[in-house]
Amino acid sequence: MNPLFLEYTVVLLGIILLMVEAFLPDLDKKKIALAGIAGLFFVLFLTWMPLHSLSIESAPFYTTDPLALFFKRFMIVMTIITLWMSLDFIPVIQRGIPGERPGAGVGEFFILPIFACASLMWLVSAISFIMLFVSLECMTVVLYISISYLRKDPKTLEAGTKYLILSALTTGFLVYGITWIFGITGTTSIEHLADSIALLPPQSLTPLLFGVGLVLVAFCFKIAAFPFQFWLPDVYQGAPTPITAFLSIASKAAGFVLLLRFLEQLYLIPTLGKKVFAVTTLLAMMTLLFGNLAAMAQTNMKRLLAYSSIAHTGYVLMAVASIGAALALPAIGFYLVAYLAMTSLAFIVLLIVTETSGGNEIYCFQGLHERSPLLAAAMTVAMISLAGLPLSAGFFGKFFIFQVTFQQGHYGLLGVGTISVVAGIYYYLKVIKVMYWKQPSQGSAPITLSKLTTVLISLLIAVILILGIYPTPILMSLQ
Amino acid sequence: MTTLSHYLMASGLLFSLGLAGVMLRRNILIIFMCLEMMLSAVNLSLVAFSRYGIVNGIQNYDAQVLVFFIITVAAAEVAVGLAIIVALFRSRQTTHSEDLNAMKF
Repeated sequence: MNPLFLEYTVVLLGIILLMVEAFLPDLDKKKIALAGIAGLFFVLFLTWMPLHSLSIESAPFYTTDPLALFFKRFMIVMTIITLWMSLDFIPVIQRGIPGERPGAGVGEFFILPIFACASLMWLVSAISFIMLFVSLECMTVVLYISISYLRKDPKTLEAGTKYLILSALTTGFLVYGITWIFGITGTTSIEHLADSIALLPPQSLTPLLFGVGLVLVAFCFKIAAFPFQFWLPDVYQGAPTPITAFLSIASKAAGFVLLLRFLEQLYLIPTLGKKVFAVTTLLAMMTLLFGNLAAMAQTNMKRLLAYSSIAHTGYVLMAVASIGAALALPAIGFYLVAYLAMTSLAFIVLLIVTETSGGNEIYCFQGLHERSPLLAAAMTVAMISLAGLPLSAGFFGKFFIFQVTFQQGHYGLLGVGTISVVAGIYYYLKVIKVMYWKQPSQGSAPITLSKLTTVLISLLIAVILILGIYPTPILMSLQ
Repeated sequence: MTTLSHYLMASGLLFSLGLAGVMLRRNILIIFMCLEMMLSAVNLSLVAFSRYGIVNGIQNYDAQVLVFFIITVAAAEVAVGLAIIVALFRSRQTTHSEDLNAMKF
C-alpha cells in the first residue's frame, strides 16, 4: 500500500461526511460522529498494513520512519477520542450557534477534527520545510474555526481571536526563519540540513542562527514552552472542551515531532549543538517552574489543566534536551501516549461535570463521588497519573524521562524536575480532595452516563493502569 | 545595481514594520493587516534568495514554490480570520484588542 493512502483515506472520509451532512440535513448528527469514528478506526487498522516504498517525487518531502508511523497512530487515536467525547457535547453546540433549525451546524463540528487529523498525519511525516509549513497551516486554519465554533459565546470568540492573531504571528516567524535557513544553506530539506550546514563557511553561522532562532520560537509557541505560553490559558478556557483536548494533545505532540526532527539535525553539528542544548535546557527549566507554580493558584478546572499542560511540556522538553541518549525518543513517545490517555480522561470528566453543574470551577467537582462514582474514580486515576504517582502510566512516563536526563548527567535539570513533581502532587491531589471530602452543593443531581461514554472512560482508565504496570509495548514500537 | 542585501534590507524593514504594527496597534483589523505584511516581507526575501542563490548556473526554485504556498495559506487565513473578526464584532460591537478581557486569572 502506498503510505500516502492513509492521509488520502482520512481526507476522503472528511469529504464524504461533509457531503452526507449537506445532502441529508435531517440525519441525526450523532450518526455523522459515529461514522467518523468508524472510518478512523478503519484507517488506524490500515496503518499496520505493509507499506510500499515511496514514489520518487514524494520521497524528498515525506517519510515513513517509525517516528512518523507512531505519531500517525497517535493522531488518529486522539481524533477518535475527540469525536467520541464530542457526542456528549451536542447540546452545548446546539446552544452555542445561531441556527434556524435544530441541529444546523452541528455536523461540521465532528468533521473539522478529521481534516485536522489528516494534516497532522502529513505533518509528522514532513521532512521538508515546504511540507512542514503547508501541513502545519492546514491544521492551524482548521483549529481557528474549531476554537471559535460556539459563536454565541463571547468567551469562545475571544479565545478564537487570540489564537488567530498569535498563531498567525508565529507563522510569520516560522516562514521568516525558514527563509533565512534556505538563504544560507540553499536547501528546504530538514532531512539533509546537517549535511548542508557542515559545508558552510564559519562566518555564515550567525545569519543561520538567526533563522534557527525564529523557527525555534515558532515551535515553542506550538508546544507552549515558556515564555511563549501566554496565549494558552485563555485559549484553553474559551475553546469548546473537546477542541481544547485536541489542541492540548494532538497539536502539542505534533509540535514535539517537528522540534525533534529539527533539533536532531542541529545536534549533529558540534558548534550549534552546544548552543541549542543550552537553549532547550533553559526552556525546559523555565517551563517546568512556570507551569507548576502557576497551576497551584488556579481555581478553574480548565485553567488548571491548561497550566498542567504547560508543566508537561516542560517534562518532555527535559527529554528533548537529552536527545543524545538512546532511550530519549522512546521516553518522549511513551510520555506523550501517557499524556494522551490521562489528559483526555480528565477533559471528558470535566466536560460532563461542566454540563451537569453549569460551570467548570473546581468547586463544581464537590462530592462528585456521590453524584457519579465512575466519574470520580476516572478523575482520580487521571489526577494520580498526571501527578506521576506509581501504578499509573504517568509514573513510568516521568520515570523514563528522569532516567534519560540522569544518564546524560544533566543534574540541574533533574533538580528542577523533582521540585516540579512535588508541586504537581499538591495541585492534582487538591482536586481529589474536593471530590471525596466535600459535600455536593445544594440541588446537584446524580449524573447518569450514556453507554458509549462509560465505555470510553473505562477504556482510558484501563490504558492508564495497564501502561502503569506494563509499559514495554509502547517503548518497543519506537526503538 | 541592486544586490541581494538591498532586497534583504527592504524585506527586513517590511517585516519589522509589520511586527511593530502587531505589537503597538490596538485595532484587530490593523493587526491582521500587519500580519499579512509580515508574510509579504517573507515572500520578498524568499524570491530574492532564490534569484541570487545560483548553483551551477541554475536558480534554486524551491523557495519560489514556497512563495506560492505562502500566498495560498495567507489567503485561507484571511478568509477564516476575517470571518472570526466579523463574528466577534457582531457579538461585542468592538474590534479593539483591549476589550478582549472576559477571561482573566
